[in-house]
Amino acid sequence: MTTLRTPDPPVAPPASAARGRRRDSPAGRRRKSQPEAFAFLTPWLLGAVALTVGPMVVSLYLSFTDYDMFTAPKWVGFGNFTHMFTDDDRYLQSVKVTLIYVLVSVPLKLTVSLLVAMLLNTRRGANGFYRAAFYAPSLLGASVAAALVWRALFMGGGPVNEVLAFFGWHTPSWVDDPQFSLASIVLLGVWQFGAPMVIFLAGLKQIPAELHEAAAIDGAGAFRRFRHITLPMLSPVIFFNLVMEAIHAFQAFTPAFVIGGGRGGPADADLFYTLYLFEVGFQDFRMGYASAMAWVLLVVIAIVTAIVFRTAKLWVFYDDVESTGENK
Amino acid sequence: MGRRTERRTKGRRIAALAVVVPLLLTGVAACGTDSGGGGDVTINFVWWGSEGRANLTKKAVELFQQKNPTIKVQTSFSAYAAYWEKLATQTAGGKPPDVLNVDSRYLAEYGGRNVLADLNSGAGKAISLADINPELAATGVYQGKRYAVPWAQNTPAMIYDPAAFTAAGADPAKGMTWDQYAETAQKVSAAGSARGVTDFGILDTPLEIWLRQQGKQFYTPEGKLGFAADDLRRYWQLASKFRDTKGASPADVTASYNTSPEQSPLGKKLTSSEFAYDNLLPAYQKANGKPLNVAPYPSAANGDTGQYRRPSMFLAVSARSQQQEAAAKLVDFLVNDPEVGKIVGTDRGLAPNLKVRAQLAAGATGNDKTLYDYEAALEPKLGAAPPVPPKGAGAIQKLLQRTYEEVAFGRMSIDDAVNRFMTEAQKGLS
Amino acid sequence: MTVLPRTARSFGWHVLCLVIVAVVLYPLVWLAFASVKPPDEILSRLALLPTRFVFDGYTKGWEGAAGVGFGRFFLNSFLVAGLSVAANVLSCSLAAFAFARLKFRFRGALFAFMITTLMLPYHVTLIPQYVIFQQAGLVNTFVPLILPKLLATEAFFVFLIVQFMRGIPRELDEAAIIDGCSVYRTFWHVVLPLSKPALVTTSIFTFIWTWNDFFTQMVYLNDTEKFTVPLGLRLFVDTSSESNFGAMFAMSALALVPIVLFFLAFQRLLVEGVSTSGLKG
Repeated sequence: MTTLRTPDPPVAPPASAARGRRRDSPAGRRRKSQPEAFAFLTPWLLGAVALTVGPMVVSLYLSFTDYDMFTAPKWVGFGNFTHMFTDDDRYLQSVKVTLIYVLVSVPLKLTVSLLVAMLLNTRRGANGFYRAAFYAPSLLGASVAAALVWRALFMGGGPVNEVLAFFGWHTPSWVDDPQFSLASIVLLGVWQFGAPMVIFLAGLKQIPAELHEAAAIDGAGAFRRFRHITLPMLSPVIFFNLVMEAIHAFQAFTPAFVIGGGRGGPADADLFYTLYLFEVGFQDFRMGYASAMAWVLLVVIAIVTAIVFRTAKLWVFYDDVESTGENK
Repeated sequence: MGRRTERRTKGRRIAALAVVVPLLLTGVAACGTDSGGGGDVTINFVWWGSEGRANLTKKAVELFQQKNPTIKVQTSFSAYAAYWEKLATQTAGGKPPDVLNVDSRYLAEYGGRNVLADLNSGAGKAISLADINPELAATGVYQGKRYAVPWAQNTPAMIYDPAAFTAAGADPAKGMTWDQYAETAQKVSAAGSARGVTDFGILDTPLEIWLRQQGKQFYTPEGKLGFAADDLRRYWQLASKFRDTKGASPADVTASYNTSPEQSPLGKKLTSSEFAYDNLLPAYQKANGKPLNVAPYPSAANGDTGQYRRPSMFLAVSARSQQQEAAAKLVDFLVNDPEVGKIVGTDRGLAPNLKVRAQLAAGATGNDKTLYDYEAALEPKLGAAPPVPPKGAGAIQKLLQRTYEEVAFGRMSIDDAVNRFMTEAQKGLS
Repeated sequence: MTVLPRTARSFGWHVLCLVIVAVVLYPLVWLAFASVKPPDEILSRLALLPTRFVFDGYTKGWEGAAGVGFGRFFLNSFLVAGLSVAANVLSCSLAAFAFARLKFRFRGALFAFMITTLMLPYHVTLIPQYVIFQQAGLVNTFVPLILPKLLATEAFFVFLIVQFMRGIPRELDEAAIIDGCSVYRTFWHVVLPLSKPALVTTSIFTFIWTWNDFFTQMVYLNDTEKFTVPLGLRLFVDTSSESNFGAMFAMSALALVPIVLFFLAFQRLLVEGVSTSGLKG
């Protein structure tokens, strides 16, 4: 069931052509399965219209209004957007915190996951055990329980403090200090390196061993082989992981909420974008402003994704038709 | 195999499933809404506070249900910060609880948005205010409408560890000046592992009291800031003096402050005193584990402690409640019933009903007695409560905390922090 | 290469892997032990092992918060997660079948649209969705948590199943159609059974994600009686003091147990699911 590198392209034209030959004309068949197709699609279509497209349109409208849920929305034009970028220090702080988080945690997480994946890419015994152990935090890490544990590990007098003090580095309570607080949340993100690692591992297994062998015979060292074989061959997977992890990181909420005590942490050091959005919308009843924030987030994610896709041509190496899986 | 008919039924079965599952869901949800009980009318009632407070309140509610068998009360509570978070979402959801606990910081916010019913008209008239100190009762009135009824009376106070302070040669109960307090706090810190005081630069109530001691106020009756940048500067300089001399908690401990006594530095044994409200003494004591005591605020040189008869918290009725009468009945019961007074004691402060209060004061023991004695001794000095804080007062507390944290962590000078506070506060209050 | 260096290298490799395992699993092991430590040892003693085992945390924690037992929170979480799984598997496989096997107008456009929604930040639809559920009087019920699953809004799983169904040889369902099977029957009797691995993966991940979900549940659930485990945990932390740390960690540990069990039971499938579809935990 490898879809990461399926031999045939996803929407298999050869198969449909074959079917066309065997049965009636494609057009006739298309007409035939229309009603059934829409029967199957009904729930999804309903959801797409009522819970996705409809709300998106409404939220776009709301982003140009003042709306507190008690009185009718009041049109303010671009007021929310100009306020955001010119008159709201906390908004800019939330942008800063989120960007730092994305720019630090994503590369760090990908580096760790790639290194560990390379370490595990052998045929030695107990491989499966290690892989499973490294993967476990990816499932647990997003929970409130894990964030609570993290808080305890990094708080004043907690294990991390004590261990660092043992090595002569006396730190304040990480979670309560504006300089360290975000770092503890970044580490919580990196701790969940298992998911991209497993994807890397699958990618590594696809690299033909002969390539490495041939290069080794030619006298290429381990680093050069990594640089000239592993990296290019793995670039589609790196690309995929990068896009997904970035989108994911932009939307982080639970760890910041729990570790930052529900208020953005000390001196707003953990004021993630989504946290501020939640606060603005559901605490201060500024639903119009919150909608505007959501749309800015959407646009930013779209731009980042577009940039990654555009530049992908420069650094992603495709040796055959790729169909990468998707992530959430 | 003749599959045709079978096939058709299968198709139908899928279609049926698509219909049945949503029904099932709403059915399940409906089951979840009502946790049983045979009342004719159901009202929701929410408050903030600790587990201990909840047990007392639930007993009072049970008594109410016994006396009013046609009314069923569903209760729910959370910690202070989480309470407001949740209430906001509930209100946004269009279904605020029928009876709710309100704080003066949020009275204008919720009253002004017409979330709360005006108790001067309609069902609210059934709530008797006859035996409540009129001055205290007036604290629930905002822009001419009675949005809430005081549930208890408390007063801002200092909660401290007497052993630590005695060892440092001070007796806060007798009153101290701020200078004496600063010295003592330093000594307390030096003597043990806990600092003298939780840094009060982040707290709005000590700022308010400190301003009152100088004849100023936090908010003007028009809902603007009642103090100037220079006042805040001096207040933060005072707090910083405590911090710089290590009398007050270090910045990371201060930042861990969260409004519940259980999670505050004093509750966590990291400091030996903290500014709070007198009725919280038992909660602090339980969290800290050592015997604690209440004392008046340190005063300015003239001896004025600036304390006042504070509506500890209010009870209000949702304007959207379908059960206004039952809701008003519950409020009246909780405020005026003598048996309720006995059950809940001084957990929220002194009973608002003066007759009930007098009755209870006579028979008080333990922490209750400490509180009655404390308030009795203070009574002649207590001023009237300030006007209802304006919309946005809840956010001002958070702003104060954030900006002072910048100072405490040394990331911003006092002057810059004062500027930021003043600009943002004025924006928030306009 | 001689035999000896190879063993040495293998040994070194295992040591390195075990060190990483130790670091990665430390927080979980720490939690497990913290939940059975006497309260005063949890933060004051660095040693991982308690001097004596105390299970008070579990008994005290189980009593719950705000007068609602933790059992209730677990029940609610299981209910929400269980119904989400059923709803998601049903609706996503229906949509996936249409995309993978049927021809219809706008198929390409709709499929592209579905893929785009994968990248949509949840927050863009959050507020209007909230207004819809509020107008319908469904805030503070489980419906807003489950209905979106019933309408296949988790495009990710549709995609996952589509990808899997495309891997099923078409000859099988074509044969069924030639035999006179309707499309519905082909779906139900041929394609769906063959898609079992994808459906199981969908179920497991839906369960785990719903179990871990905090944001939606926080936004939509108000009554303590309806709280799920994450909300219960947070409430518990807020209303109890440091002396109750043991109970907090005991309940945190319990909250992770279902996921750990799922993980142990389906470890292979989960990891495989991730590596083949790019699923994320």
